[in-house]
Amino acid sequence: MSNAVAAPPAHAPESGAARTGRTSLSMNQAINAALHDALAADPRAVVLGEDVGVLGGVFRVTDGLQAEFGADRVFDTPLAESGILGMSVGLAMAGYHPIPEVQFDGFVYPAINQLVTQIARMNFRTRGALPMPITLRMPSFGGIQSPELHSESLEWLFAHVAGLKVVSPSSPHQAYHLLRHAASRPDPVVYMEPKSRYWQKGEVDFDEPGNLEGVDVAREGRHLTLVAWGAMVTRCLQAAEAAAEDGLDVEVLDLRWLSPIDADGLAASIAKTRRAVVVHEAPKTAGLGAEVAQLITERCFGTLKAPVERVTGFDVPFPSGSLENEYIPNIDRILYGIQRVLEYRRG
Amino acid sequence: MAELSFPLPDLGEGLIEATILEWLVEVGEHVERNQPLVEVETTKSSLELPSPQTGVVVRTHGAPGETIEVGETLVVFEVPDDTAGIIGTVPKDEKPKRRVRLNVDLDD
Repeated sequence: MSNAVAAPPAHAPESGAARTGRTSLSMNQAINAALHDALAADPRAVVLGEDVGVLGGVFRVTDGLQAEFGADRVFDTPLAESGILGMSVGLAMAGYHPIPEVQFDGFVYPAINQLVTQIARMNFRTRGALPMPITLRMPSFGGIQSPELHSESLEWLFAHVAGLKVVSPSSPHQAYHLLRHAASRPDPVVYMEPKSRYWQKGEVDFDEPGNLEGVDVAREGRHLTLVAWGAMVTRCLQAAEAAAEDGLDVEVLDLRWLSPIDADGLAASIAKTRRAVVVHEAPKTAGLGAEVAQLITERCFGTLKAPVERVTGFDVPFPSGSLENEYIPNIDRILYGIQRVLEYRRG
Repeated sequence: MAELSFPLPDLGEGLIEATILEWLVEVGEHVERNQPLVEVETTKSSLELPSPQTGVVVRTHGAPGETIEVGETLVVFEVPDDTAGIIGTVPKDEKPKRRVRLNVDLDD
């Protein structure tokens, strides 16, 4: 908060008052602020999930919301993910704007039915009569040495489901504004929170959201583009710093929207650098990196200097905490990927 | 730092209470995980309860001779604020280590 510029306290704005100015927040505080402001701005918004109410969420993301907005707008549910999303369907049909939480990414599997056969299709099925203004929040990806099923990377799954939008923020500023943006849409949005970055602090500018659609150039560069999302953006920025020490000017492209992917923004970056490496935590086979690589190939084949490389998790279930650092792409593996692109020569 | 309370667990099959016999730690004392905290007596046996975690004892509930019900707070600990929630650890933000050096020959 030391560099706050005439900003209201992050957790205690006057109810209904719009936030202004800039302030430093951790990502979980930024998401908390976004939920608070979404509830204040939209009387139809409700927050539901396991432990979101009295406890305030296991990562304190929903801290204080029930005390302020009451237990009829921020409420605890049984430990039943299919019930949480099934109830969200009913709430949406009744005119509410549910913001459900599934406590950990790996526990959304029992609710895939509700997500795929109801939430994603209801608008299509009813010819637009019943849109599903649902924002599903979910702590996602690995990086905190948690037990099995607490560190999945499911963007490939959600991005393939027609009817769902998928977004993942990479900084507190994006976390605030993308969540407000997602919660104000009529479409169902899966909002994947990079849980390893919850404690990352950064400046949130409440007055200038910036462009909330499409890709975000996290770092400008000339020689090669690293494409990433969520927690991997920070790691790619670190890899770009390392590459700069060796004389390579790397651009880091934060994809942000994983469905729909901003193919134009993606192509614009690759057209400039002519080399690309996609980085993600999910297993490589049929991962979203394959889709990104193919979009680049379709749009930039004539100008590419080398095939698009992928640096990803491995084709195994996400391992236990002690092996996590071997599984999640690290700086060295990203640099190896960059090196493979640099060394490619046409025959 | 955060405070974490340790409620009296069920020490047998369906026991509802235990009587404090002797505290083995003092308020302000740093205890290690599995270090004996308190000796209690139930209707079945007397036993030493090990500490469920490392931390500093902030409060103890119940003097010797008093009975505590299962689920009531027995000890409050002060623990470092680096637990990530109910599980996991907060990743350290340190400068990343690199071993790989790039051989940059752009041939543009």
